[in-house]
Order: sequence, then structure tokens, then C-alpha cells
Amino acid sequence: MKFSFFHLMPYPYLPDDYDEKYNSSSLTFPNKHFDPKLGIQLYKRYLDELEYADKLGFDGIAVNEHHQSAYGLMPSPNIMAAALARRTERARIMVLGNAIGIRGNPLRVAEEIAMLDLISDGRVDSGFVRGIGWEYFGHSISPTRSRARFNEAHDLIIKAWTSEEMFQWVSPNYEYRYVNLWPRPVQQPHPPVYIPGAGSTETMKFCAERRYTYMSVYAPTRVVRMWFDGYRKAAAELGYVPDPERIALSIPVYVADTDAQAHAEARPAVEWLFHKGLKIPGELASPPGYMSAGSLRGVIAAGMRAFSQLSYEELLTQGYAVVGSPDTVARRLREMYDDLGGFGQLIALFAIGTSTHEQIMRSAELFATEVMPVVRPLGVAETTPAAP
Amino acid sequence: MPNDAPAEEYLELAGGRVHLFRGGEGEPLLFLHAAGGAGEWHDFHRLLASAGFDVIAPDHPGFAKSDDFPDVEAIDDLVYHYLDVIEALGLDRPHVVGASFGGWIAAELAVAAPAQIGSLVLLSAAGLRLPEHPVPDIFLMTPGELVATLFHNPPPAPAEPAAPDIDAILAAYRDASALARFCWSPYLCDPKLERRLYRVKAPTLVVAPSDDRLIPVAHALRYASAISGARFAEVADCGHAMYFERPAEFADLTAAFLAEHSVGLPNGVSR
Repeated sequence: MKFSFFHLMPYPYLPDDYDEKYNSSSLTFPNKHFDPKLGIQLYKRYLDELEYADKLGFDGIAVNEHHQSAYGLMPSPNIMAAALARRTERARIMVLGNAIGIRGNPLRVAEEIAMLDLISDGRVDSGFVRGIGWEYFGHSISPTRSRARFNEAHDLIIKAWTSEEMFQWVSPNYEYRYVNLWPRPVQQPHPPVYIPGAGSTETMKFCAERRYTYMSVYAPTRVVRMWFDGYRKAAAELGYVPDPERIALSIPVYVADTDAQAHAEARPAVEWLFHKGLKIPGELASPPGYMSAGSLRGVIAAGMRAFSQLSYEELLTQGYAVVGSPDTVARRLREMYDDLGGFGQLIALFAIGTSTHEQIMRSAELFATEVMPVVRPLGVAETTPAAP
Repeated sequence: MPNDAPAEEYLELAGGRVHLFRGGEGEPLLFLHAAGGAGEWHDFHRLLASAGFDVIAPDHPGFAKSDDFPDVEAIDDLVYHYLDVIEALGLDRPHVVGASFGGWIAAELAVAAPAQIGSLVLLSAAGLRLPEHPVPDIFLMTPGELVATLFHNPPPAPAEPAAPDIDAILAAYRDASALARFCWSPYLCDPKLERRLYRVKAPTLVVAPSDDRLIPVAHALRYASAISGARFAEVADCGHAMYFERPAEFADLTAAFLAEHSVGLPNGVSR
């Protein structure tokens, strides 16, 4: 099992009337509520936490991209990765990922990741995401073009990284008469690619065909199981069994010395994350054309409730988060490992919502020293249960 | 065929099938529906048909029972699509009546092919970019907010169904996705349309509801001033839903204007 320390960099200082007055922390939540002076402290603190995870022995430290949102303060994940590249030595620097569906100029992403790959001495992982629905409002990109833009941008970036000849790129959404990447990345054939999936069979097939790491988004274990099985099935149809390391569970994790302490500290933070940070009405989540008819039918049929309707207890029992003492968390992760048919990477969100710096540092430390050694042997090829 | 029972037909074009309603006898009247209102034959259509017009009401590409037409990506493609429709139906200078989103298409048709349009009626048409009179973002509205925006007197909300009707949700999402394909950005407009409106040769009536909370009346006034000789009319106590809210008033204004501007075909019959 490989472990990464994932950060969303939330802005936790929401106004007291947030619940009544605002329907989301994103897109239309007024930026007058952002205090730049607090922002300075948050960035310093959050980068310190990621750097500490490197020292603790996490295999990776991970950042992502969100726009116009108190949920996450990283409109450019590559800037965060650049800051980390020079201050860390060992951990993989995971950009999970660049939202290439909404980028006006995806060649810029190929350039920046190549730069990061060199600055980090080949430690960068490159996730690609479509961007959440609200970001298509925020950046005025038609969600009806999301899938095509994502696919074209992906193909362009991979070709830009791997080609040693200048080429011309023409696709429905992009035209480049000269693609000639300077610098080229050091990892061969290119930095490892991570793609998040949320049930789309197209995405499972896309990842399986390219042997990319397929990572879950926040969902109940029973639903993530269907996604992981879908990826394994897509691989089986291509005639191979995927390395468990290509399957990544993404989940908030909180560890304290005792279960009681862990729950007392994690409850407000987990509730903040799912009830405030992830308060996303349907109009913002799935604008027209963002989802295929098949995916939308699947989502409705899965009957998942909105995050805001799930209590802290439900979030834990359904597998949206893992909280407890080191023993409890290790046991729960083993259970989830079995329930999910195995996985080889855990992308753990330790900086949950309103958690304090001290809580996060202690949680990560306990995890690294007491949970990691227990769970480490899982998720390598020999121990993985056979796919059904 | 009784006047109030339209025929339902499918028109085969190179890119797919167009579903349309057709009812009434008289000069051809091509009706281009609003973002809402695909796949339905309303009182408004029935009243126009009984006023003596051959009312042809197709569903736009990607809406209701029409095929997706994935190559129809933007407003310029929609213009060619409707020129294809007019040709395939063998219509000679039809009256073109468009509401809201359909009004935008109608205006673009009259700009692109002024000789092929008999007369033009724009019912609170979208299509102009007037930053000082912005159109609220319909894609960001909840169903309740949308109803409150569209109606002068919003109807009571229907009871929540016990279980979601997946097919109905998917059909509404498909219509909205088609709309987003054509007008996400630039939002519900063609920035070049206004300066091209001088090309419109058809006699034109511009109608606005008095209480339009979606497309401010300034848009209709701009159309009326930019199209040479256009007439302007307002329907009182009515919201952007127009022919949903006051079908008789909209049908009467439209029919009276079109009757004044008969294209003069033999016996007023085109087919």
C-alpha cells in the first residue's frame, strides 16, 4: 500500500449566517468573506503540513485544483507543487489534478508539469480532471464540450511530453501549429497519470486502456466498490489484471490517541467538509451536458443522498471518512480494503475542514507511525483478493 | 382533420430526423420554440392554426423528439439547419415566428436569408448582447427560481413526486444540454447579430411581455429600433413565459400582423 497526504486547502472561516444565507461555498459565495491576511497564514500553514508529511514518510503529497471556492484555495495546483518541489526531498508530488477540461490552453499544462518534473527530480505525478460543474460556469466553458475538451487536451499533453519531433495539433477544440515542448519531462515515457472516476464507464475504460491510476471521489463504500469493479472489469476485457497500485481510494482520515478524542475532534471538521465545504446544489454540480445520459441515469439510480443530508455517523458507517485511534483506523482500513475488493493506494485527506494545525500534524504523525506499518503490506499484487 | 388536432411528422434531413407538429390551413407559419416548450402543441399553436395558418412547429436539434444533430453546434449551424428545414418542407417564404431562444434563431434566419422569409414575429427574442440589460443565468436557477422568473403570476408548484421520474429528468436534462450547446458562451446571444439586423427585409413585429424578468424589455426595443420598419407591441400583465401565460393575446397579435402581411400565394395555400 502506498500512502499520500492530500490537501484541499480550505478556507475555514465562514460567516455565522453561512448555512442560512448561502447555497454553496463555491461560484457565488462572495469573496468579501476572504481575508487576504488570513490567507497568508493559511498558505504557510498548509504548505508546512504537506512538507511535514514528506518528513513523516508519506509516499506522496497531493494537491488539486478548484476555482472560485472556499472549499479549496488552489486555483493553480502547479504553483503549490512548485513550492513543494523545492522544500521536499522524497515524497512524490501529486497534482490531482489539473482541470484540463476548463483550461483555455492545455499546452501550458504540459509545459508546467514538465517543469515540475525537472525541478522535483522526477517526483511529479500528473492527475487530470474535468473540473466540477460550477467551474464551467466560473470559467465560461460550455459543459457540453467538457468530455471532448478533456480527451483532446489529454491526447495533446501526452503527445507533447513524448514527442521528440515538432508537430502540428488540430482537434475540434484546439489548434496548435507548432508543438515543440521545452523542457521535456525526465520521467519516461511521461509522468504517471491519475484520473478520478465517479462511475463513468467511459473513464474506467479510458484508464484501463492506458494503465493509469483510477482514483475514487468521495462516495459510500458500496458505490466505490462498483467503480473499482468497473475498472477491474475494463482491464479484464483488455486481457490483464491491474496492479493494485493503479487503484486509489481517496478518503478523509483522522487519527487521535483514542477513539473518543478522535471523534470529538473530527466531528466538527468532517461536518464542515461535507455540510459546508461540499454544499453544492445540483445546478452547480451537474450543469447541462456535463454528464452523459448514461452517467446521469447511473447517478440517479445509485440513489446517493446529498452530502448535506448525511449525519456524521452516517458518513462514517457508509465509508465517507475514517476516524479513530490508530488501531481503529487500521482495522477500518482493512475492512474497507476487503469491502472494495482491494486497492493499492490510499489518498488520505488529513486536513479536514476546520481541523487545527496541531490536530492535523498529530493525526498525520500517528497515522505514519502506527497505522502505515500495519496497512502497508496490503494492496501489493500477492495479497489482493481476486476480482469477482 | 379537426383544427385542434395537429399532425405529428418526422422530417428526414442529412443529419437526422426533425420531429414537428403541423396543424391548420393557410399560409405556412414556421414556429420556433423557446428553450422550454419543445414537444408540445399549445393553445397558442391551436389558436394560430384556427386563425388560418399552416402552423409548423418543429423541435430544435437535441430537443424533445428531434434527433441530436451533434454537428449543429452553434447559432450559425442552427440557421443552416432551418434553411434545410424550409427547403425540405418546400415552404415558399414562410412567416417565421420565434419565441425567446427561438426568436433569436428567427432573427438570425431573417438576417442570413432575407429573401426567404415572408414576415417575422419576434416574441421577446434572445440573441442580443446588451451588457447594461443582462439576462439572468437560467442554467444556475433552481426549478422554483426558474418558474418565478418566467411568470408574471407564477403557477403553484406541482406536488413533489414520491420517486424521481428518471425518464422525465433525463428528457429535461437533454433539452437543457442542447440549449447549453448553443448558448452557454456567449450567453444566449450572438455579439454580431445587432449590427447585422439592417439586413432584415421581412415585415417585422416585435412583441414583449410587460413583466419580462428574463430578457429585459430593452432587448425587444433594441430589435424594434434596429430592424427597419419594425412594429412594437407589448402584452400587459405577462411574464417571459408569454404564450404559456397569455396564449390568446400572443396568438391574436401574431395572427393580426401576419394577416396584414400575406405573402400573396394563390388562395393563400402553399401546399
